[in-house]
Amino acid sequence: MSEVRLQVRNISKTFGVTKALQNVSFDINKGEVHALIGENGSGKSTMTNMLTGIYPMETGKFILDGEEIHPENQVHANNIGVSIIVQELGTLSGLTVAENIFLGHEEKFITYGFRNTQKMNAEANRLLQEYGFTHIKASDMIDNYNFEDRKLIEIVKATYFHPKIVVVDETTTALSQEGREELYKHMNRIRDEGNTVIFISHDLSEILDKSDTITILRDGIYIDTVKSKDVNEEDLKKLMVGREVTGDYYRSDYGEKISDEVVLSVKNVTVPGIISDVSFDLHQGEILGFGGLSESGMHEIGKAIFGASYDREGEVVLADGTHINDITTAIRNSIAYTSKDRDNESIVLNQSIRDNIVMPSLNFLTFGKTPFLNWHRIKEFAKEYAKEMSVKMVNTDQFVSELSGGNKQKVVLARWIGKNSNILVLDSPTRGIDIKVKQDIYQLMNRLRKEGKSIIMISEELMELIGMCDRIILMKDGKLSGEVLRSPELNEQKLISLMV
Amino acid sequence: MTDVTISKEQALAKERKMRLIRAWLPVAGLIFVFILFSFLTNGRLIKSLPLAMSQVYVIMIASMGVFFIMTMGGLDFSQGSILGLSAIVVCYVSKYNIELAIVAGMATGACIGAINGYFYVNRKIKSFIVTICTMFLFRGLIKYLTTNAPVAGSPMIVMWDTTAFKVGSTLVVIILGFLAFNYTKFGTYLRAIGAGEKAAMFGGIKTDRVKFLVYVLSGAITGFAAFISAIKVGSVTSNGGNQLETQILIALVLGGMPISGGALARFSNVIVGSLLFVVLSSGLTMMGFSTQMMQLIEGVVFLLFVAIFADRKSIHVIK
Repeated sequence: MSEVRLQVRNISKTFGVTKALQNVSFDINKGEVHALIGENGSGKSTMTNMLTGIYPMETGKFILDGEEIHPENQVHANNIGVSIIVQELGTLSGLTVAENIFLGHEEKFITYGFRNTQKMNAEANRLLQEYGFTHIKASDMIDNYNFEDRKLIEIVKATYFHPKIVVVDETTTALSQEGREELYKHMNRIRDEGNTVIFISHDLSEILDKSDTITILRDGIYIDTVKSKDVNEEDLKKLMVGREVTGDYYRSDYGEKISDEVVLSVKNVTVPGIISDVSFDLHQGEILGFGGLSESGMHEIGKAIFGASYDREGEVVLADGTHINDITTAIRNSIAYTSKDRDNESIVLNQSIRDNIVMPSLNFLTFGKTPFLNWHRIKEFAKEYAKEMSVKMVNTDQFVSELSGGNKQKVVLARWIGKNSNILVLDSPTRGIDIKVKQDIYQLMNRLRKEGKSIIMISEELMELIGMCDRIILMKDGKLSGEVLRSPELNEQKLISLMV
Repeated sequence: MTDVTISKEQALAKERKMRLIRAWLPVAGLIFVFILFSFLTNGRLIKSLPLAMSQVYVIMIASMGVFFIMTMGGLDFSQGSILGLSAIVVCYVSKYNIELAIVAGMATGACIGAINGYFYVNRKIKSFIVTICTMFLFRGLIKYLTTNAPVAGSPMIVMWDTTAFKVGSTLVVIILGFLAFNYTKFGTYLRAIGAGEKAAMFGGIKTDRVKFLVYVLSGAITGFAAFISAIKVGSVTSNGGNQLETQILIALVLGGMPISGGALARFSNVIVGSLLFVVLSSGLTMMGFSTQMMQLIEGVVFLLFVAIFADRKSIHVIK
């Protein structure tokens, strides 16, 4: 039998009004990849952030190899054998690769108060060689490397000292297939050395494929721990949501003809350094997907259509000949946009749900033609569309910052549904959103499509593109690299072959 | 364990209570300070109230402009210099026509506001840096213009110094500001920019234009305050408007304005804050405190209120 590495005992944590974790207890063994799953806000990241010293602990105990631990910060956590690789960038700009790898652990290169940079670089280079990342040089500034390489450097940083537990927190969502393979390789190595990986991901097939044991959390409460080989995706969904996920998840129709009517044309659009010479048409009532790697330029397509790109060349033209060159014109002409960077670009966090929903519609919520706002209508308007999107809230005065990711996205969508937008540009509409809300969003898109609205869906999740789109355009290095039509035979491999 | 498992309702109730305290503390403070000083000065405060109120007009009008700026997350330290320079222009022009002098004062303020706005919006420099620069620059100009003697206006200008005019015009300005802030898009846009500029832009607000125009507007408003300040004595010295920016900042914070601006800004902050500030400072004067001592006390109160009203949820840096 495998030995217990970490005992989680009665861990609780609150953030203001939210109880992130309640009395959670379970065991994690040596030599396993232990997945933590749950919907957004279920407490996975809160748990690992406390374990790695990012958040202070509240009540309860972590017992590592029989000893109770109290991680104070990340460096302290490293010293007791716990490290983490995070979802977003975990390396610091302005430092060299070596300085990043040994951040907080410089003492072994210090003699008489001076840092021996040469020795540090040599050691870092040796590690990079050992990991097989030979194209990275220890003495280079970290800024010379792209997102993908910086993640590889983080892998070295988090694992070179053979920690007892490595937390991989939703790292894979930000990585390409190659990067993921590299990460999996090192996860397996850690396990084979007898150490433990705590693996957090939203991708259930990845979880089933890569982990040995799975612990499920729901609303901060421990639900169950299962062996990966004993369960399938449906079982996991049921455990996460707490009930059977019924009805259609994606669209179920095939073979519907795309309308000939073009509602929007993108002609020779170039954004220097990001996309070059992109042209395509959007038809009425179609869902047009854009797929590719995160850096392929596909996210800029959304901004370009919405008039939000800097230095855009080329034309974005509506059916009636209107040119879209700025955000105000885009909104006035019934174009809606949800950004991948939801918290910064889609929504004003420290403002009420009501103010967020009515923002683009204020011109229509005045007394007649006067500039004076009709607050009664504004309140009704916000209430109506928040309700239509079934936003989970106390009332529309509640600040958006108190909502979960899924509910924030619902507020964004409520704003555009309220504006009655005809062209919706949805960039990563389900990013970091749990299954239940995802399903709601897919159903909404399908309904809008049937009402004759046109949707552009930009996504890094190939499965949802395959499930939802009439057409999918693939992108690579800022250029269009292929196009496929909706069909039941379409699979991820086909799309990947066009985008890498 | 017990303290961890507080229910969501309790926590929300607690937060609502905090919001209520934040909303009413300035009002309670105003009443308290008023009663306290009336008592301490044996009622002299109430008797000399009309005199004390003569300070309110300038501060209340000027702080309304800064209130707009702070709501959208900016700051303005150049208010004192705007007031000083505008007052000089008012005095010059008043020799020809006094109504024209009002317009000229506002135009001067608007121009300085436009300079602030240009460097803030187009050159993308943080607002407090820009306005500290313009504060120095225009204070220098004021000193140069008043090198030999204070700039005197037309002798007729003091004729305008009537309570009816001052109360009337202050009321008009405040009511216009109140309507614009609470009953037009203007206020909603300012709050949105203060709470999340990028998201406001993606929500269809022309953020750069609004930001620029707010600085121009605030300059013009202070330019009008300069007229009210000029009619009191009919001339401007090199110290005209000195430290107005700090007084405004203290007044707004005393009124409950979060220093980082955003959605928690309320229009009542302007009115309650400037009244509280004026009662506090005239009360302290009447009690015979020296200027140095007063500054010390005001500083402590300022710090206290900043700490209470800081909106720690919006961690963003002041723009």
